[in-house]
Amino acid sequence: MSPSKKIVILYGSETGNAHDFATILSHRLHRLHFPHTFCSIGDYDPRDILKCKYLFIICSTTGQGELPTNVNALKCERSVTFWSFLKKKNLPSNFLNHIQTAMLGLGDSSYPKFNYGIRKLHQRIVTQLGANELFDRLEADDQAMAGSNKGTGLGVESVYFEYEKKVLNFLLKKFPNRKVNGQVIQREQLDPQIYLEPLSYLQISDRIAREDANKIKIEFQGDKSVKIGRVNTNKRITSDDHFQDVRQFKFSNVEKNSEDYEPGDTAAIYPCNTDEDVSRFLSNQSHWLEVADKPLIFTNGVPNDLKDGGLAKPMTLRNILKYHCDFMSIPRTSFFLKIWTFATDVTKMERGQEQLDDQREKLHQFATDEDMQDLYDYCNRPRRSILEVLEDFLSIKLPWKYVLDYLPIIKPRYYSISSGPGDPDIELTVAVVKYKTILRKIRKGICTSYIASLQEGEQIRYKLQNNHIIKNDFLHKPIILVGPGVGLAPLLSVVKADVFKDTRLFFGCRYKDKDYIYKDILEDWARAGKIVLYTSFSRDTENSPGVKYVQDYLWKLGEEITDLVVNKEAVFFLCGSSGKMPIQVRLTFIEMLKKWGNFSNEETAKRYLKEMEKSDRYIQETW
Amino acid sequence: MSHYKSGLLLIHPAVTTTPELVENAKAQATSMNVKFVDQFLINKLNDGSINLEKAKYEIIKYLTPEAPADIQFPKKLIPVLAESLTPNGSLIGLSDIYKVDALINGFEIVNEPDYQWIRKDFSKLNQTVSIPLKNKKTSSTKSQSGNNKLPTFKKASGTTTKLPSFKKASNAELPILKKTEDFQSPSFKMAAEPKVYKVVDDLIEDSDDDFSSDSSKAQYFDQVDVEDDSIEEEDLIDENDSGKPMITMITCGKSKTKKKKACKDCTCGMREQEEKEINDVRSQQEKVVKFTEDELTEIDFTIDGKKVGGCGSCSLGDAFRCSGCPYLGLPAFKPGQPINLDSISDDL
Repeated sequence: MSPSKKIVILYGSETGNAHDFATILSHRLHRLHFPHTFCSIGDYDPRDILKCKYLFIICSTTGQGELPTNVNALKCERSVTFWSFLKKKNLPSNFLNHIQTAMLGLGDSSYPKFNYGIRKLHQRIVTQLGANELFDRLEADDQAMAGSNKGTGLGVESVYFEYEKKVLNFLLKKFPNRKVNGQVIQREQLDPQIYLEPLSYLQISDRIAREDANKIKIEFQGDKSVKIGRVNTNKRITSDDHFQDVRQFKFSNVEKNSEDYEPGDTAAIYPCNTDEDVSRFLSNQSHWLEVADKPLIFTNGVPNDLKDGGLAKPMTLRNILKYHCDFMSIPRTSFFLKIWTFATDVTKMERGQEQLDDQREKLHQFATDEDMQDLYDYCNRPRRSILEVLEDFLSIKLPWKYVLDYLPIIKPRYYSISSGPGDPDIELTVAVVKYKTILRKIRKGICTSYIASLQEGEQIRYKLQNNHIIKNDFLHKPIILVGPGVGLAPLLSVVKADVFKDTRLFFGCRYKDKDYIYKDILEDWARAGKIVLYTSFSRDTENSPGVKYVQDYLWKLGEEITDLVVNKEAVFFLCGSSGKMPIQVRLTFIEMLKKWGNFSNEETAKRYLKEMEKSDRYIQETW
Repeated sequence: MSHYKSGLLLIHPAVTTTPELVENAKAQATSMNVKFVDQFLINKLNDGSINLEKAKYEIIKYLTPEAPADIQFPKKLIPVLAESLTPNGSLIGLSDIYKVDALINGFEIVNEPDYQWIRKDFSKLNQTVSIPLKNKKTSSTKSQSGNNKLPTFKKASGTTTKLPSFKKASNAELPILKKTEDFQSPSFKMAAEPKVYKVVDDLIEDSDDDFSSDSSKAQYFDQVDVEDDSIEEEDLIDENDSGKPMITMITCGKSKTKKKKACKDCTCGMREQEEKEINDVRSQQEKVVKFTEDELTEIDFTIDGKKVGGCGSCSLGDAFRCSGCPYLGLPAFKPGQPINLDSISDDL
């Protein structure tokens, strides 16, 4: 690890946008020879802030106005993250006055808590702890209607490039020169055709390969916390004629017979690519085939990004592609920024040099065009994968040794646990992601299709995450569970835990006989008096007269439910897909408080709900 | 009772966060015997991705959270809305800010029983309004008949214009690129292996190095953790303040409007629009690629009579195809050679 630098770029990213913009900024700084530290907010060592002088933060917002997960993710060797350290009450108001900072928030004004992530960071770092701002923070809006780009119709990208421009202007003015071999020379940008060599990359190992790397069992090394599970059940639980395939998926640890988790906890599953897709990639980059199964090593240690989940051994190109490179994902700008210069293979061009030039120009445009519309139309809108881009641009001849620098790394996906606390047979409820675009091949989610493909007895890598969603103070109180669709997943665990006195479960789906998942279990519980069950079927009025959605049923029983909440300290636990549902439920909840909860007006009802959220009595888990 | 007035509900994007407003508007409409047969976001209309039929609606309702005096409405849409109303149809939701545009486009502003704009009857319009409009030649030609207006409307939002505007934009980029990065070779010709550069970064110490962090700050890292000594994250946000976000106008950049992706639980009609687009492209594909059982693995794209796009870039892949290309969504292929469809066959 290199020592921390004076210039620091930090990002907080949930879906990867903030990470990608931060990567572009880091790339630009390297091309101007600016030494800097570049990592997620969670990976930044809090002590390094004393050495930092220029702090650049790009951060999005997730969930209900929260900071993204990698802001709070804790590295095992540390006891406290940068952000949890900054939140300590005893820090003086001049604690960060040695820092000059500039911030960029990525948000979406269709969510009520627009850009709360960057606003929280700003409030603490600038207003409360005294960091100096180089320029007012920028807030980008994915809706392009409010925020930094109000009324101009410009998207997030233009706000990023404005930010980049301001940052570079400042740094170039401050540090116009650099030293090379003791000589001071003017700082100039590196020729864009030159590829920046990563700190550590792959090379063929000197050791003589054991007979056939393919026959050796794959192991994952370097992450002690990753566990191996055995698949016990993988069953479709929606009817065959329903559009969505939902799986009941059970697995257990291969080594031990016990697990430690509570309702609301999640399992991280590490997916991989299919062998077919790996072969397709290798046949596209056919010069890789001769080295595909040779053992490899890193020139300068394992890159940080590869540590989570362990590194596949034996380390061959084939295994790296299968287990670590997310080449079936949609390429981001930084991918084009790094690879466009490798479009060099004129032998694959029908129209020779002219076509090669066209391809280079187009790729360079995707990499640098500040208005990302063409890239968006070509990649994001049809959900085109990196592999499909390579198949369209046959001139791209990639060097395999840098593969982990320019391809994105496969990250684990998180699923709520449905089994009861500590049950060694860990159960997940997974909706398989599939959809159509103009591309003829059906688009699939890498992790859900990986899960759907698993057979009983196969092994998976996983980790369990304790989220401490349910506080001990509320045990044995009444609980209201609201979970339409796959939102039911964590609620099942709550019911199985059997720690609440009076359990009301609101479930909703489209049709009673198509996607009413876990029908038998729920109805058994209802008969046995374990829960009171309220179902609504949004496209099946025959079986759901008068109520369409879960919130309709909540409203129908408003008086009773409000009484439980206001007078009996009931917990309210809401799960399911993000979007309109949680907003509608929330609005319904406030209306209920106003009508039956003795709150005179909107303000007091909202304040009550805020208090409930603060004490974790109104819990929302949406994804 | 059996006949409903057909209505159009236009929505300001900010309304999507408060769906109950839409519900209210619908309920109110029902009580007035109006049925909203269409519902669109105003920006979809503004960027030309939705075109309105002529004389289709008896009522158009514009739903916006803005106060009447603060309404910002794209003026160019006012004639478009006028076109889509039946004679004597009404437009509700705009205010006197756009009074002039209302009059120019043949509306009568009515204050009773509720404020609204009524589209004057066509036949009457020519007679009654002709005298005052004589003074202003330009506006008289504009408002005399709907037919005269049509060409301008087409220019603004017709799909045929997409192509030239795309071309214009990408042509304009090239010179900029060259200007800012002069040291780059003029074309993209570069067939040799690209050079690789090992990062050598350097920062000459700056003058304000003395203004570095004070060593006393280190003590805060050595303190023992006491329970609950952290601030509440929620307290960092002042709810009352969130109404005025940090606004920095970005003036650079181009004016292309971004096409949006429909939200998960789309209610504004965008999802349907997207699905229609996908189906349109797919049916185009069906026209050029006829799949039979034996053709599942190999298809010859060069068979005579197959439709070919005008740009000559059909074989090069989507990145180079024009927006109306019948091959959109299909992989790049070599002209004159059969293409392997293994990779795209799982949906056939």
